[in-house]
Amino acid sequence: MATRVETAARPHLTAEIAAFLRHLDYLLLIVVGGVVAYGLWVLADVTRHDVPGEADFYLVRQSVYVVFGVIALGAAAAVNPDVYRRLGRVLYGIALFLLLLVLVVGDDVRGSKRWIEFGTFNFQPSELGKILLILFLAGFIADRARRLDEWKTSLATVALGLPPMLLVFKEPDFGTALIYAGAITAILFLACVPWTHLAALAAATALVLTSLVWLLPAAGVEVLQPYQVDRLTGFLHPDVDPSGTTYNVNQSITAVGSGGLDGRGVANATQTKFNYLPEHNTDFIFSSLAEQRGFLGAAVLLLLYAVVVWRGIKVIAVAPDLFTATVAGTIVFALLFQVFINIGMTIGIAPITGIPLPLVSYGGSSMITTLIMIGILEAIHVRGQLASRR
Amino acid sequence: MAIRIAVLGVLAVMIFCALFFRLWALQVISGERYLEDARNNQIRPYRAAAPRGSIVDRNGRVLVSNVPGTLVQLWPAALEGVPEADRDRMLRRLARLLRIPHREIRAAVVAGESDPLTPITIAESPSEQRIDYLLEHQAQFPGVQIAQTHLRSYEQGGIGAQILGYVGEVTKPQLKTMAKRGYAPGDRIGQTGVEATYDQYLRGTPGVGRVYVDALGRVTSPRQFSQLPEAGNNIRLTIDAEVQKAAEDALEYGIRLAIEDGEWAADGGALVAMDPRNGEIIALASNPSFDPSVYVGRVSPKELRALADSAANHPTLNRAVSGVYPPGSTFKPVTALAALHEGLVQPDELIQCTGKEVIDGQTFANWDPFANEPMIMTTALAASCDTYFYQVAMRFYVREDAPLQKWAKRMGFGRRAGIDLGPEEAGLVPTIAWKERYFKHPIDKIWTSGDSVQLSIGQGDFLATPLQMTRFYALVANGGKLVEPHIVKSVEEPRKEGEPPVVLQPYLMKPAKDVGLDPTALRIVREGLYDAAHAPYGTSASIFGSFPVAIAGKTGTAEKFVRIPGYQGLRDQAWWCGYGPYDRPELVVCAVIENGGHGGTAAAPAALKVFEKFFKVDPESYVSRIGYSD
Repeated sequence: MATRVETAARPHLTAEIAAFLRHLDYLLLIVVGGVVAYGLWVLADVTRHDVPGEADFYLVRQSVYVVFGVIALGAAAAVNPDVYRRLGRVLYGIALFLLLLVLVVGDDVRGSKRWIEFGTFNFQPSELGKILLILFLAGFIADRARRLDEWKTSLATVALGLPPMLLVFKEPDFGTALIYAGAITAILFLACVPWTHLAALAAATALVLTSLVWLLPAAGVEVLQPYQVDRLTGFLHPDVDPSGTTYNVNQSITAVGSGGLDGRGVANATQTKFNYLPEHNTDFIFSSLAEQRGFLGAAVLLLLYAVVVWRGIKVIAVAPDLFTATVAGTIVFALLFQVFINIGMTIGIAPITGIPLPLVSYGGSSMITTLIMIGILEAIHVRGQLASRR
Repeated sequence: MAIRIAVLGVLAVMIFCALFFRLWALQVISGERYLEDARNNQIRPYRAAAPRGSIVDRNGRVLVSNVPGTLVQLWPAALEGVPEADRDRMLRRLARLLRIPHREIRAAVVAGESDPLTPITIAESPSEQRIDYLLEHQAQFPGVQIAQTHLRSYEQGGIGAQILGYVGEVTKPQLKTMAKRGYAPGDRIGQTGVEATYDQYLRGTPGVGRVYVDALGRVTSPRQFSQLPEAGNNIRLTIDAEVQKAAEDALEYGIRLAIEDGEWAADGGALVAMDPRNGEIIALASNPSFDPSVYVGRVSPKELRALADSAANHPTLNRAVSGVYPPGSTFKPVTALAALHEGLVQPDELIQCTGKEVIDGQTFANWDPFANEPMIMTTALAASCDTYFYQVAMRFYVREDAPLQKWAKRMGFGRRAGIDLGPEEAGLVPTIAWKERYFKHPIDKIWTSGDSVQLSIGQGDFLATPLQMTRFYALVANGGKLVEPHIVKSVEEPRKEGEPPVVLQPYLMKPAKDVGLDPTALRIVREGLYDAAHAPYGTSASIFGSFPVAIAGKTGTAEKFVRIPGYQGLRDQAWWCGYGPYDRPELVVCAVIENGGHGGTAAAPAALKVFEKFFKVDPESYVSRIGYSD
C-alpha cells in the first residue's frame, strides 16, 4: 500500500511542476529582467565616479542584491497565495513588529531612522512591511466580500492600515508612507467597495492634508516638519528659493533637460559627475539616467515599465478570486504609483519624497521586495491559469 | 471589478503619457536651454575644515595649536576639457611661480582626476606677492583658488614628536572605513600619535555649504553655510613638557656617553617616565626623533623620503611603545618575584655566585668572571649576579607548569599594555607551546634548560617594550598593582588663553589590577633594588648613591642581534629601570639605549637626568659619578 502511494506521488509532483512552469507569465519575467538589467547598466554608469578608485563599488553590491532578489522571486512564485490569506494576521504582526523595531534600534541617518543594520547590509523594514500590509489587508477585505457595502468594512480596513503607515511616517519617511496610503486606497478600490465610501475617504484625506499643511501650522500646531511641508508644496513654486528647498529639484530638472534627445554620455554628464545631483544612485537615479542617455534612454525604461504594468493588469484579470485579484491589483498600483512619484519628482511634477525607483535605484531592500512582488504576481497568474483550465 | 480594472488601466496610460510628455518637453523641446544651464552651473559644494583642537601638557602648556595659513588649490574639474598642451603650459607656469617641481604638481593632478570635486592642494602659505599675483592673473590660471586654512603649529619645538603624531590628508583606504563617520575626501586627519587616537575629539565638525563660481571656477559669492564649522576640543596630556624635554635630552646624553665609552653603534633609544600610582605618562621619549612640522601643509616628497631613509634610523617609530628589546638584567626582579612567591627560593637562602656555571654541558658566564661568594636574594639583585639566577632558573625548569612564564604574563608581558597611543607592540614571552609552534626544525622545537636559563635573566627569545618594563617597575613600586598606562588626562572645551579650562570628559581609567603577589616577595625585591642603587656592590650605586631623593632601580645589559648599515652581530642594549622616592614612589623611569653597552654607563645616567628634572634637584648640589658595571 505504502509503495503504491510513493510511486503515485512522484509523477504527480513532476506534473505539478510542469504545469507550474507552463503557466508562468514569461513575458512579465522577461520584461522585469529587462528593467533589472537596464537598471544595473544605468547604475554602473551613474556611480562610476562616486567611490574614488572603485568604479564598480555600487554595481557589485547591487548585483548581489539582484541574485538574492531573483531567489526570493522564485520562492514567492512557488507559494500558493492562499497561504498568505490564512496567515494574514501573522504577516500583519510581523510588519508592525519590524516597523516598531526600526524606531528603537534603527540607524539614525540624517535625522531619520529607516534602516536596521545587519553587518554590511542595511535592512529597510518599511519596504518589506509594504508587501506584508498589502497581503493582510487584501485578505481582511476579501473575507468580508459579502459585507463590502457596509461602512464598517471600509472603516475597519482603513483603521488597520493606518498604524503601519503612521509608524513609517514617524521614522520619518514621508515618501514610503505616501505609498502605504496609496496601497490602502487601492485595496478598497479594487475590492469594489461602493464609490460613496471612496469619495468619503478622498474627502477625509483632503481635509487631513489641508489641516496638516495649512490650518494646524496657522494655529501653531506643527505635525509635519517644516522641511516636509516645503517639500510637499515646493514643486508647485520652484523658483522661490533656488539654493534651499528646491535646490535639488532645480538641479534635477537641469540634469534631465540637459540630456536632450540622446544624452550627454557618462564623461560629459556634469550634473551627475560633479555631484550637483544629490543621491544620484538612489532617489535621483532617473535624473542621472536622463542626463547621460537623454530622452531615448529614459523612454526605453518607461516603455519597459509600461509593459510590466500591462502584464500586471492582465494578471488581475486572470486572478482566481477576489483576494488574489485585490493583491495583484494593489501590487500593480503600488509599482505604478512609485514609478510616478519618483520620476515625477525628478522632473518637477510630483512632490519631493525620498522613495526609490523600483528595480533601478541602488538598495537591497527595495530591489528584493519589488522582485518578491513580481513573484507573487507570477504565483497568482499560475493559480489563475490552473483554475480556469480545471 | 472589470470597470475598476479598466479604471486602473486608464490611470496607467495617463501616468505614462504625462511622464512622456513632460520628458519630451524638458529634453527635446527645451534641451538646449538646460544644457546651457548645466554648463554654467554655478553652485559648487564647499567644505570648510574646522579649527582643530589644541594639545596641551598637564600644566596647560600648549604643545600644538593652530595658525591661520593659505593654501593654493586646484580644482581638477576646472581642467576638464582644457586642451592637453594648454593645461601643461598652465601647470608649468604655476610650478615656476610657486617654486615647486612641475613633476609633483602633475602627479597630484593625475592622482586627483578620478575625484574631480576634491581640490588638490599644491602649495602651502606662499609669499604675499605670489598670492597677489595669482589673484590678479586668475584668468590665466583656471581652477586655481586660494583657500584659508588652519595649520598645525608646534609651540615647543620638536618635543614629543612621536607622541603628538602628525596630521595629514585622509587616504583612500582610510576613507573606505571612515566615510560613514563623516570624513570626506580632502579632510585632514590625525595619522599617528595622539592626533590619530583622539582625532574624533580634536577635529571638530567641518562646515558645509555652497559657493557660487563663474565658468572659470572663480568664487563669485560669499560662502553660504548650511552647517557652520565647529572648532574641535582640546586634549590635555598627562605629559609634563619640561620633563619630556629633559627625557629627550637625556637620551641624547646617554647615547653620547655610550659613544664616548667606545660603543660606536649607539644610535637610538627610548625613555618612559610614569606615575606608578595611576599610570599617567609624565614623559615618553624616543630617539632619533623628527620635526613634526614636516607634515604641515603641503608635504614635500623629498622631506618624506629623508625621514624614511634607513640612514635616518626610523625617526617616526615610537620606540617606547613599539620597539621590542630583550630587557636583560632589568628582568631579574620578575624572576625573583616569581621564585619567591612560588617558594622556589627562600629570601635568606644562600646560593653561590660564581664566575660561570655549567648546565647540561653548556657553559653560561657571569658578567663578573671573578665573582665567587654566597649571596642572598637582595644581594644577588643588587650585584646583578647572573649565576645566582641560573640556579634559580633550573628550579623553574623542572616545574611542569612553567611558573616563570605564567608570572611574566600576569605582570603584563607578552601583551599590549593598552596605552592610548598606537601602534603598540606586545613583546614575547617564550613558552613551550610557542617554541613548538614557531620553529620548523624538530630540535629547535624542544624547550631546553638553556631556554630557562636565558629567560631568567631576560635574554634569549624574550622581548619587551620599554613601556611594558615601566609598567612592571610601577607594579613593584606601587605594591603589586598593574596600572593602565595612558597619556591623555582629559578632553577640554576650546578656550582662549588665560581662561580656566572646562573639562568635557576626563580619561576613564580602568582600576589598577592587583596581581596577587606575596607582600614579602615584593618587600625583598624592593630592598634588592634599593641596594642596587645604594650598596657599595650595587650596579648603579655610583650614579644614584648620593642623589638626595632615594632611588631604587636595576641596570641591564642585554645582548641583541642587530642589523645596522655596515654591521650585523650581537650588540649590548643598555637598560636602567627604577623608581623614587623609595618609600612612597612618585615616578618610575625606564631608559634603554640601543647598542649602548652597559646599563650603568649609558642608561642609568640618562634616567638620572629625568629624576633631576622631576624632583627639581640641582645637578651641582650633589656628587655623581658614572660607574662601570652590568
